[in-house]
Amino acid sequence: MGMIQQSLELNFDEYPREVAEFQMAVRAFAREEVLPRALELDQEAHDHFAWDLVQKGHELGLTRAMLPPEFGGLGAGVVGVCVAMEELAAACPGVALIFGATMLGQAPVLLSGDPELQARFLPLFSQEQAVLACNAVCEEHHGVDLVVTDNVRHAHEMTTMRRDGDEYVINGHKRVITNAAVANFASVFVRMEGLAPETGLTCVMVPLDSRGVTRGPVADKMGYRACLGSELFFEDVRVPASNLIGGEGEGVDILAAQGNMARSSVAAVSVGVARHALEVAVDFCGTRVQGGVALREHQMTARKLAEMTSKVDAARLLYLAAANKVDNRLPAPEYEPAVAKFFADRMATEVASEAVSLLGSRGYIREFGLEKILRDSYGARIYEGTAEALALAITDCLYRDDDEEGWDDDDDL
Amino acid sequence: MALYETTDQAEHVFGSLFRILSEDEAFTTKLRESGLSVRLVHKKPECDVFVSADEVVVGEDVPDSAAITIKMSCDTAHALWMGNLLMPTAVATGRVRIRGKVAKVLEFVPILQPAFDRYPEIAAASGIAG
Repeated sequence: MGMIQQSLELNFDEYPREVAEFQMAVRAFAREEVLPRALELDQEAHDHFAWDLVQKGHELGLTRAMLPPEFGGLGAGVVGVCVAMEELAAACPGVALIFGATMLGQAPVLLSGDPELQARFLPLFSQEQAVLACNAVCEEHHGVDLVVTDNVRHAHEMTTMRRDGDEYVINGHKRVITNAAVANFASVFVRMEGLAPETGLTCVMVPLDSRGVTRGPVADKMGYRACLGSELFFEDVRVPASNLIGGEGEGVDILAAQGNMARSSVAAVSVGVARHALEVAVDFCGTRVQGGVALREHQMTARKLAEMTSKVDAARLLYLAAANKVDNRLPAPEYEPAVAKFFADRMATEVASEAVSLLGSRGYIREFGLEKILRDSYGARIYEGTAEALALAITDCLYRDDDEEGWDDDDDL
Repeated sequence: MALYETTDQAEHVFGSLFRILSEDEAFTTKLRESGLSVRLVHKKPECDVFVSADEVVVGEDVPDSAAITIKMSCDTAHALWMGNLLMPTAVATGRVRIRGKVAKVLEFVPILQPAFDRYPEIAAASGIAG
């Protein structure tokens, strides 16, 4: 047996200095600015938006965390973004998603490798005033169809685009798009007119002040109420041909790439939600006395707390391992981020539910905040790939016979 | 049929391409500022190229330690530099595989623009058509 090479990548005991510093800064922001307002934001009208909080997050770098330094970004990488998302979500996942959705809106431009497009759009996120983006995928008739690559061929009834001289013309309707009500730009997935979905899916950058763009009503959601999900209508919207991201018909590949890039950070959001529930439960069970002893000394309660913390730790390790791979592989792996999200999303609802159970009536009454955490815990089971969609992707990976991402399989090059 | 028939041919074209790039001060300055070094592992036929701010190495002496390793076939490299294949597509379909900090890769791709400008004439001069 040859010498075993020690991995230089896996060291979760100690984050790189820049990541650790970013994590501490975001943790301070989350605890001092976000957490004290989380309940208030949850109970505001469904279309209320806390621009002042977004501006503070912007000043911290949360709107440009993924962007390269040459465009004014932090270059935090996916690991850096994930640990930041966990910190924010441990205060309020709705606030975390405002910044996460902006990063997802930027992702296609980043992934395009197109220097001209990057130079036009990415520096805009480093201006003094916060600029937000969104990523418009979901359609009235196609949700999972646009998440599972093999299903794209069924996405006939979707927003379309055609070339007209030096412009593209867009018509259609997107729904439940996070940040659509407040974003300046959207990376929009469309089908080129006259082409089948699997060959015609295309991504294009659309300034949302373009003529013909209408922002629809904000959805009244069960959780994540600090961020706004709404519809986008496109009626003969014209954008310069130079706004094309990647090329006509490249949408399937961009969609897959952005999904693989984003899922670790969504898993991190779920870990943040669960961590918050766990912290509340640990605090309560350590001080609440019943039967003459603290709740944590009751075996049933101890077992629950032990299971909750085990799940949170396991989910964190999964998202860190996935994010670490995404930071070091192109194409980004499909399996690890999907598994991390699949596990973390379900884990968050389980841990939040147990926390509500442990707190009894305090868990059920709005003013104590735990019922908000329980409602929020379900959110990540919906966006960026439902459990049902992820299960298909994960199981498909189990039946592939190539090596890890095909690095050593030269036949496919 | 593969466009490149021999390792010597591939080393000549891709070596020339990156040697010309390395004479561009903006290119080397960017590599130095970013601390970037890149190993391009071409297959079919085999052709290794190492590029840093200080040197371009071609062939067996290429060092293993580079910030980024990019693996692709010579045909894929040809299609990329000719502008016939987009990098996101090549990556997404696994025709180009990259190891190394993706953030570094994102910095590297835009500074390769001169390669797209120079490759067609370098390839044509070596009888690589397409």
